[in-house]
Amino acid sequence: MATKRRGGLGARRKGNMEVKAVVDLGADSSDDDVPEEVTFEKAKADAVRSMRNALETVKRDKELLKEKRRKRQELFQQQKKRKLLSEDMLVEIESAYTKKGKPLDSEEQEKEESEEDSEEEVVNARLKESYKAVRLKDQIDANTRQESASDFIRSRLYGPGTNRTTTNQMLSLKNKTGNNKTAAVQFVNKNWGSENKGKAEKFKKRWVHSLTVVAN
Amino acid sequence: MGEFKVHRVRFFDFMPSGIRCMAFNSKADRLALARLDGSVEIFNFSNNYFQEKVIPGNDSRSIEAICWVGCDRLFTAGLNGEVVEYDLERLCPKYTLDAFGGPIWTAACNSEETHFAFGCEDGSVKLFEILPDKIQFERNLDRQKGHSVQRILVDRGPAGTRNKDCVVWNVAFLSDYTIVSGDSAGKVQLWDANKGTLIKTHLVSKWDVLSLSVSENEDSIVAGTSEGTVVQFQLLSPKIGDTETQWVRTRTFKHHTHDVRAVTETRTAVVSGGLDTQLVICPLMDKVEVKSSESVLRKVIFPHRSLVSCAKKPSLLLFQFPDQLELWRLGGTDTIGKPGESLPVTRKPEKLLQLKRKGDDHICCSTISECGHWIAYSTVSSIRLYQLQCDNNNISITKVSKLPKVLRSAHQLQFSADSSKLFVASEQATIHVISVSRSECKHVHTFKPKSDVFLPTGSSAPVHLLAASADGQWLTSANRHCEINVYNLKKLKHHCMVPVYNSLPSAMAIHPETNNLLVTHADQQMFEFGIVDKQYTDWSRKLQKEGLHRCRLKWGTPVTHITFNPQAPSQVILHDMHMFCIIDQSLPLDGLKAQFYSQLTPKDTSETDKPRKNNALKICNKYQPLLHVNLLEDDWLVVVERPLIDIHSQLPAPVRQKKFGT
Repeated sequence: MATKRRGGLGARRKGNMEVKAVVDLGADSSDDDVPEEVTFEKAKADAVRSMRNALETVKRDKELLKEKRRKRQELFQQQKKRKLLSEDMLVEIESAYTKKGKPLDSEEQEKEESEEDSEEEVVNARLKESYKAVRLKDQIDANTRQESASDFIRSRLYGPGTNRTTTNQMLSLKNKTGNNKTAAVQFVNKNWGSENKGKAEKFKKRWVHSLTVVAN
Repeated sequence: MGEFKVHRVRFFDFMPSGIRCMAFNSKADRLALARLDGSVEIFNFSNNYFQEKVIPGNDSRSIEAICWVGCDRLFTAGLNGEVVEYDLERLCPKYTLDAFGGPIWTAACNSEETHFAFGCEDGSVKLFEILPDKIQFERNLDRQKGHSVQRILVDRGPAGTRNKDCVVWNVAFLSDYTIVSGDSAGKVQLWDANKGTLIKTHLVSKWDVLSLSVSENEDSIVAGTSEGTVVQFQLLSPKIGDTETQWVRTRTFKHHTHDVRAVTETRTAVVSGGLDTQLVICPLMDKVEVKSSESVLRKVIFPHRSLVSCAKKPSLLLFQFPDQLELWRLGGTDTIGKPGESLPVTRKPEKLLQLKRKGDDHICCSTISECGHWIAYSTVSSIRLYQLQCDNNNISITKVSKLPKVLRSAHQLQFSADSSKLFVASEQATIHVISVSRSECKHVHTFKPKSDVFLPTGSSAPVHLLAASADGQWLTSANRHCEINVYNLKKLKHHCMVPVYNSLPSAMAIHPETNNLLVTHADQQMFEFGIVDKQYTDWSRKLQKEGLHRCRLKWGTPVTHITFNPQAPSQVILHDMHMFCIIDQSLPLDGLKAQFYSQLTPKDTSETDKPRKNNALKICNKYQPLLHVNLLEDDWLVVVERPLIDIHSQLPAPVRQKKFGT
């Protein structure tokens, strides 16, 4: 409807322009003039034209959309085809497989079957007692669920928002508020300065040795 | 007597695991405790709170709930979605069952003990039926389908903490349709189950209320919080003579420094355990009737057995951890000092070997031979034996691959005094004798416990102590039914059984010269049994008549090791967690009533102090807390301590407490 109006407006504008030109010419005449006469046929023609235009634009839009959709569908199909093996390859593989199977004699077939059986038996025996077939996916699922559950507990007890402090602070607090008030606790890192300590030890050994040499 | 040079060892990094949940069985008077590493411990409360059984943990097992069924069936459920039933005779899991509902958060058993309910991650409650030898899935109570009677919303808490969601950690349902809930905002709330309304709120702490327990006759509720306090509520009438009762907050205990994750109540005490790894048994003075061992506050910090083995000749120590073994050589000093002085260490102690276990199961026992060439350890699924070659600075270890097929798992391991045989105490109280040598290991014999008139099949309780005599002739074993069997190794048959004393043996050793068996029990009694004569010795009878000093009987922790002095054959050295003492069997006993004198240094004595010197019992509590005390040659004593502050410094973070003025 909007298009119709637009079309209509545009058509009327054109018509109006013409009319206006005519009117302007006659604008010199007074304002009390009777409005100009537009014939019924002209108006009818205008309306019909505008409706036709509107219908045409709608049709055009629909067609454009259809085209777009078709193109997209084709693109998807092409991508899918690319993913799957080409038909030719499949045909080749199948033929090769059947070719293998076809020229077997009955004897050879029996041998193959028995081999398969024995293989199965061997496989069964292998899998019997010490091994268990487990789906990896289940194991991974169970592990992730267990981890998320323990993460939940950890975050509730130690996560952000919980007021936790360090063991150092707790022990220092005990020292400061106890009966004999002592200084805060300081944890010493035994690995600190290990190189320097090693050098000092070696120097001490050398120095003691030099002293004994001098003494002798 | 009693003058030694001491190796003071503090490099054993023993780290216990935090307590996660516990369940008390009032019929059997036993407490089952589950720790964060998956191990389960059972304490016998009527036997002086002795740690009776330990089922070692597993890396893949996580325990969130533990439950007794009847007297002797124990179940746990955890975050790996599995329900485990334990075999309390073989000390291992009997079977595991997957509940197929994701991680299991909680478990409960009904009072008729016919059904089990497990609350799973997917929101459903799964009902299992309890059958005599297993449990079976019955049905599923889904979140939506089950008949929901009331929906109760727990509000978030006092202003200031409204940013976080409130998590209800525990719920208990009482028989008068009251629901008790403990949540993360620190509130214990009582709800009416019929109307779905809140009856009363008790704000207990600023941090989470992590554990809740209701007593058997439902007149007392105990709650444990994150800051280490345990709060008790009792059903009392506010006015005397009034029949209407209310839940009133009565007592507060602060025995823990870290989160209390498990509480339970017995008839006379409140038992709590948490992340600070200590089990605290606090007596309720209004319930305790007689002043006995029940009325004392107890803290169980160290396990009630020895985790350290010593090879005396090469001065090696073997430390047992749940996931590895560590072998250390003791250091030495070259100076000779005065009594009471601490000598400088010239040769530092070195860690020779760190042996990691294979598989998920934790190590349950280990031992090293006297000569230091053989190490053996066992888990619930396998036993491994290693040969060690140690020449000055080079150490090589080889695993003995072909062990006799009869060896599956062991409850206790012990090498003979000449390191030629390994004694393996297996399930059903059988003891296998394996001869070990460089070329091969052969199974020599299997000892079975003696069957009795009263027990025709022989006791199948697990063996927890083994002792071998120095001359290689006798072997004794003690099991969890308080039975002690003596076996003759030369004739390879059962020799005799020591008369059963009702308390569990905690340590046992055979004297190298007299072949007398010395046993200490969980209630601190000590007996000496002559193996050759098959009866108690005279000294033992004298001890029972006169008794050692009374302060000896007050010790809260059991004796975990007994050893003898090769230089002074009449001396016996034993230790528990807080002290070690020397008992001289040749000196007269003082008796219960006499005054106790403790000698500080030998130079203190003067001529007038003769009566003091003649005391048979000498105690030293200078070194504590003790994990192991042993005598090496040349009057050297090795003392393995584990200061509690070292354990404390490695615990997880505690809550922040703001104190005025700091």
